Amino acid sequence: WKKEEFRTCNQTPFCKRARSRKPGSCSLIAAEVEIDDGDLTAKLLPKINDQEESIKPLILRLSVYQDGILRVKIDEDQTLDPPKKRFEVPDVIVSEFNEKKLWLQRVLTEVVNGDSAPSSVVYLFDNYEAVLRHDPFEVYVRRKGSNGDGGRVLAFNSNGLFDFEQLKVKKEGDESWEESFRSHTDSRPFGPQSISFDVSFYGADFVYGIPEHASSLALKPTRGGDVEHSEPYRLFNLDVFEFIHDSPFGLYGSIPFMISHGKDSGTSGFFWLNAAEMQIDVSNSEGGRIDTLWMSEAGIVDAFFFVGPGPKNVMQQYTSVTGTPSMPQLFATGYHQCRWNYRDEEDVENVDSKFDEFDIPYDVLWLDIEHTDGKKYFTWDRVLFPHPEEMQNKLAAKGRHMVTIVDPHIKRDDSYHVHKEASDKGYYVKDASGRDYDGWCWPGSSSYVDMLNPQIRSWWAEKFSLQNYVGSTPSLYIWNDMNEPSVFNGPEVTMPRDALHYGGIEHRELHNAYGYYFHMATADGLLKRGNGKDRPFVLSRAFFPGSQRFGAVWTGDNSADWDHLRVSVPMVLTLGLTGLSFTGADVGGFFGNPEPELLVRWYQLGAYYPFFRGHAHHDTKRREPWLFGERNTELMKEAIHNRYMLLPYFYTLFRKANTSGIPVVRPLWMEFPGDEATFNNDEAFMVGNSLLVQGIFSEGVKHASVYLPRGQSWYDLRTGFTYSGGMTHKLEVTEDSIPAFQKAGTIVPRRDRFRRSSTQMVNDPYTLVIALNGSKAAEGELYIDDGKSFEFERGAYIHRRFVFSDGKLVSLNIASPPASEKFFSTDCVIERIVLLGLSNGKKGAVIEPGNHRVDIESGPLKLRGGKGPMFLTIRKPNVRISEDWTIQIL
Amino acid sequence: SVSVSPSLVRSSLGIRPEDLKYFKSDFIKCKDGSKKFSKAQLNDDFCDCPDGTDEPGTSACPGGKFYCQNAGHTPRLLFSSRVNDGICDCCDGSDEYDGRLNCTNTCWEAGKVARDKLKKRISTFQEGVSIRKKEVQQAKEAIAKDEAELIKLKNEEKILKGLVQQLNERKEQIEKAEENERLEKEKEEKRKRDSEEKSDDGEKHSTEVQHDEEKHSTEADDENHESIGLLDEPSVDQDEAEVTDDTAAEAENEEAVRPSIEEINQMVAVVDEDSTAVDTELGHNAESKASTVEEMKKENHENTEDLSREELGRLVASRWTGENAEQTKEMDHGKEEQPEDNHEAHDDVHDEEGDGYNSEMGEDSHKYDDEEIEERDGEDEYAEEDHDDSSPSYTSDSEDQTDFSDVTTTSSSSWLDKIQQTVRNILQAVNFFQTPIDKSGMHFTEAAHVRKEYGESSAKLSKIQSRISSLDEKLKLDFGTEKEFYSFYGRCFENKQNKYVYKVCPFKKASQVEGHSTTQLGHWEKFEDSYRTMAFSNGDKCWNGPDRSIKVRLRCGLNNELTDVDEPSRCEYVALLSTPALCFEQKLKELQQKLDLMKSEQPQIHEEL
Repeated sequence: WKKEEFRTCNQTPFCKRARSRKPGSCSLIAAEVEIDDGDLTAKLLPKINDQEESIKPLILRLSVYQDGILRVKIDEDQTLDPPKKRFEVPDVIVSEFNEKKLWLQRVLTEVVNGDSAPSSVVYLFDNYEAVLRHDPFEVYVRRKGSNGDGGRVLAFNSNGLFDFEQLKVKKEGDESWEESFRSHTDSRPFGPQSISFDVSFYGADFVYGIPEHASSLALKPTRGGDVEHSEPYRLFNLDVFEFIHDSPFGLYGSIPFMISHGKDSGTSGFFWLNAAEMQIDVSNSEGGRIDTLWMSEAGIVDAFFFVGPGPKNVMQQYTSVTGTPSMPQLFATGYHQCRWNYRDEEDVENVDSKFDEFDIPYDVLWLDIEHTDGKKYFTWDRVLFPHPEEMQNKLAAKGRHMVTIVDPHIKRDDSYHVHKEASDKGYYVKDASGRDYDGWCWPGSSSYVDMLNPQIRSWWAEKFSLQNYVGSTPSLYIWNDMNEPSVFNGPEVTMPRDALHYGGIEHRELHNAYGYYFHMATADGLLKRGNGKDRPFVLSRAFFPGSQRFGAVWTGDNSADWDHLRVSVPMVLTLGLTGLSFTGADVGGFFGNPEPELLVRWYQLGAYYPFFRGHAHHDTKRREPWLFGERNTELMKEAIHNRYMLLPYFYTLFRKANTSGIPVVRPLWMEFPGDEATFNNDEAFMVGNSLLVQGIFSEGVKHASVYLPRGQSWYDLRTGFTYSGGMTHKLEVTEDSIPAFQKAGTIVPRRDRFRRSSTQMVNDPYTLVIALNGSKAAEGELYIDDGKSFEFERGAYIHRRFVFSDGKLVSLNIASPPASEKFFSTDCVIERIVLLGLSNGKKGAVIEPGNHRVDIESGPLKLRGGKGPMFLTIRKPNVRISEDWTIQIL
Repeated sequence: SVSVSPSLVRSSLGIRPEDLKYFKSDFIKCKDGSKKFSKAQLNDDFCDCPDGTDEPGTSACPGGKFYCQNAGHTPRLLFSSRVNDGICDCCDGSDEYDGRLNCTNTCWEAGKVARDKLKKRISTFQEGVSIRKKEVQQAKEAIAKDEAELIKLKNEEKILKGLVQQLNERKEQIEKAEENERLEKEKEEKRKRDSEEKSDDGEKHSTEVQHDEEKHSTEADDENHESIGLLDEPSVDQDEAEVTDDTAAEAENEEAVRPSIEEINQMVAVVDEDSTAVDTELGHNAESKASTVEEMKKENHENTEDLSREELGRLVASRWTGENAEQTKEMDHGKEEQPEDNHEAHDDVHDEEGDGYNSEMGEDSHKYDDEEIEERDGEDEYAEEDHDDSSPSYTSDSEDQTDFSDVTTTSSSSWLDKIQQTVRNILQAVNFFQTPIDKSGMHFTEAAHVRKEYGESSAKLSKIQSRISSLDEKLKLDFGTEKEFYSFYGRCFENKQNKYVYKVCPFKKASQVEGHSTTQLGHWEKFEDSYRTMAFSNGDKCWNGPDRSIKVRLRCGLNNELTDVDEPSRCEYVALLSTPALCFEQKLKELQQKLDLMKSEQPQIHEEL
């Protein structure tokens, strides 16, 4: 962590200026308010137009979309010939979203109490209205029929901090526009062009979101009240060496999306689609309002208001704009084994065979940069990897996959075909003077492919074809690292802001989206490689709104210490809240050597990350699971087995995320929005709606305090013991596992047999664990498809709901549409049903159709783990997973 | 669904032949005693026993074991996770029986390959076992010899100590007498001079200067000798009583000078070390530009502002890789560790001095015994070791080699006799003149004789003592249960990989040599894993990593051959050493049995093919 190499707000002129503005300093009013093209439009003008410096009016456009989404755009008036068009981030909003626009027909004019000027009111959603207050200019969402603050949900510019610096043309010799930081100078050819404004969340207890920071789940205030000096939350994609935990400093990715939640008012969200550097202040105001100040260096206002009212509604609303997470292949939901670096083919073979020797499943083996020939991506070091295809095929024969790294910096080496083509075709990002930008990264002198240009992305995607990527096979997938972009000799270890992209766009305008486009192009490459039939898997470090559509994201170069284990939970949860469901932290910590206990605890927690990968820096000791003695091997193996056991449940949750945007792992408050005790809990989390997991974040812990949310009781995942909800339990903690519970009233599908990898599990039978609630009822779901293709999008999948009530378990088809165009079938059966919370004495059950009688006996909750308490178990019902049936307990 | 194959097979599926009996009864116990299951539950594809007893032939119980007979090859126990998983694991294909996959039986072919390999291994072992036996025998003899030598040396030491003591006493007597005599003489002269005129002040001054020079030039001389010399001038103005005090003072003075010279030596050594360190660093890095960055970095610490763009790029990259930064860090380390380095340097200096001393004496000792092997050999070895370059395989460390070829030849007792005789003669001769002091001065020759004899004997003594302590050290080492690693003592094994030469010296250290620079991979720690691994630890520091270490795995081979040096984890090396020491007879028997077993299972299956 080299603090002095990164800017503070004070060293960032736009941030310093915006932060020093006083409330009410915005003097704009909305004029010429009208309905145009289904939108409400207005001009924003200074109330008293200063004669000396004429300020050009801004154009405001307010649109309403289905399901409670308000969009507000503010930009310069193009008819007044601004020096250039400001950057609007393309290819983030999904095309389907545009079809959800509601064409406004009429606007109500109303004088809100106390105002002298009118406000324009339009319909927003069921119970919500959007209000444009003319003077002073303000936009807010309120509950229908309410007048005054009581009904407000969220508001824009209610503190009058809105400011919009308009583009100017630099006059000759005016050097004051240049901005310097350390040895770097930014030419800023259009002068200051920042935008800032305030957003208020009403009735909010906490706000969340705006990753990526290594900090708490509930965002701590950065200003006001009793806050000591703090930087704002920074959103600027940076490659930060040895980042520290608990800091508002911006890391690898940026999502300007904030969610507020309050016990009484529910959940709402605000999203600003803008790819320039952003800084966000949070301050608590009286009366349950949270005020935030949003500052960006460039771009336009393209803001989305989500009314909620529940947390899951907000998730659906946000992902209807930016897209839901793509459906991963089944293999990608298993365990990934990575290290910088698995050195050569022999190393790969040894590691792979050790997993088999210890009967530890894993799905993917990763190769970091050293596999390439001189850090030239798409090539192989032929000394270390003389037979890459054979190597991959050997893994594939065991149903395993390989991932290689492909970064965006291209070695400036004329003998390198990618460089040759890119420079010949002019595909590189240019420096301020128009030459190919030349920065420094792993290969040394490098240039960066301009991923903003769709044509260049398409060219890039072709590089992944099996013909072009020599040595690749269909079982090879990709890892995008360093795509912030990381430039070792650039300002703040990234690209200069005045570098130029396609269409004359300055790097400052799209910086935070560069990695996104790179990720997009890579995922597209894999899609093309498989003729659109194979789901891509691409892991990216940098991200932006919408990255969920292209693959997984991890939290970057963390460290092997307990604090980093702890902060991984709020980091992963925050990513989930902002649409990125398929995420995880490097298990074990990238830098440094974890003590065996830390490593074991990390495996135990990491097994519940949606993306579960062990990774390590090349200076660290080897840390594959079998290297720490028999007992620790056993513990890590058990943690990995746990993950594989729960794969059917995880896969069902990935599908849920794919259809609704609701993340795989969720903050407790998402499942228990009325339980205040959960609001700032970021040590525990929910996996889906059924499992609660509490991390253990310090050494030698014998006891842990675990808050179990109210409303239901909870079954210990290992012992089946019940604990009541709505209270904190002081639990004994052993080395065997971290505390984890199944919520009463849920059914979790499992697969209890272990294989080398998820690939061999496809024909294995299922186990259902039914955790009954007080009324002896429970429900759960299971989603299955072929695990790799896109046929599921045409209906080739199985989706069942299991409902237990009145002593009867029913399997229902909930696939939609029910009449599928395509069909997916499986012979898989349910081999075991464990009933938690049912008294003994049951001897059998009858299966319909067929009037087939099966035994109920007592059995363990888990097959491994020695002697434990026994529970009623339906033995070998062997009902097919794809069919309708009932099992009546006698 | 996963249906289990016909019940015919089911009852024996996946069960080891020796366990078949266990599953005969109608009710069968889980092996862990947790419960019982019925025969119908055996291999019914549902896990009843937590330990998997009831499902030897299916994948229903995690952690269960499946037995495949693999007729024609070797039987195998598989994890239950492999049963019907779509991958043929057993060469007889018996693990895939659910009809989804047809595995070809490859046991005979695979078995043949395995058998051939095994045969080869057996023949290696056969030869290896006999080499090992020989070596064990030799080691035993050598150790016996060492022990005998040790006893002999200790005996000699005892005798020699006595002689040296006697000589010393005698020498002191003589010297005291000489002094007295001289003082007497001086007094007389003084009286004479006094009676003449008191005039020579300036002259006295010049003598003092002369004395200073003398002091410097006689640095390496015998201390006593020197102090006697020193007494000459100052004593002029003093009376007898003060003489002894003054001697002591001079001795102190002498000591005060010594450390300062040592300090100088140390400084020189440190400077050398430093320059070697720098060389090493440069040697490590082929890119000279990087070193510029490092220098810049060193100067500016973390101030990166003044770096060129390339330098900045390299510097930032180095944070992740540690490659370039390592140099700075290691150099820094070098500085931090100067005290330690000094210490080593100090030791080296001592060694060098010791060597010098020995060799000087060694020359003298020629006069005694021409049969003795020159100490110079050892010195040469030392020099070679120091430069650590182009030394042949099996170089040995100086001291040890020296020791091997040192004084302890068979004729050694004769030299002791000689000395004893000589000393006896001297002492007798001296004793013959009952009064030690005789104004005639006739026994000056006698005194010289005693001094010389004393010097030579005490040199001999210290040599013997050093030999004793090195033998003691050696015999304390762990040479294995049958002393089979005795032959490793004093030897080094080398392996060249690209630009590096790896050098493993058992019981001493292991290093990586690149050109003129040497990186210590570790100092000898111990044998591990019942003498299957040699561990060297606490090698040179590693940036951002552990101190370097290496584990050398041992396996049976006909020659001592170092291979497969590898660094699987940063700065943690492994290597393989083939050696006859690991060719155990027991293991040979096992291999032969295994081969017999494989041969005996000539399968019907093969005939079917």
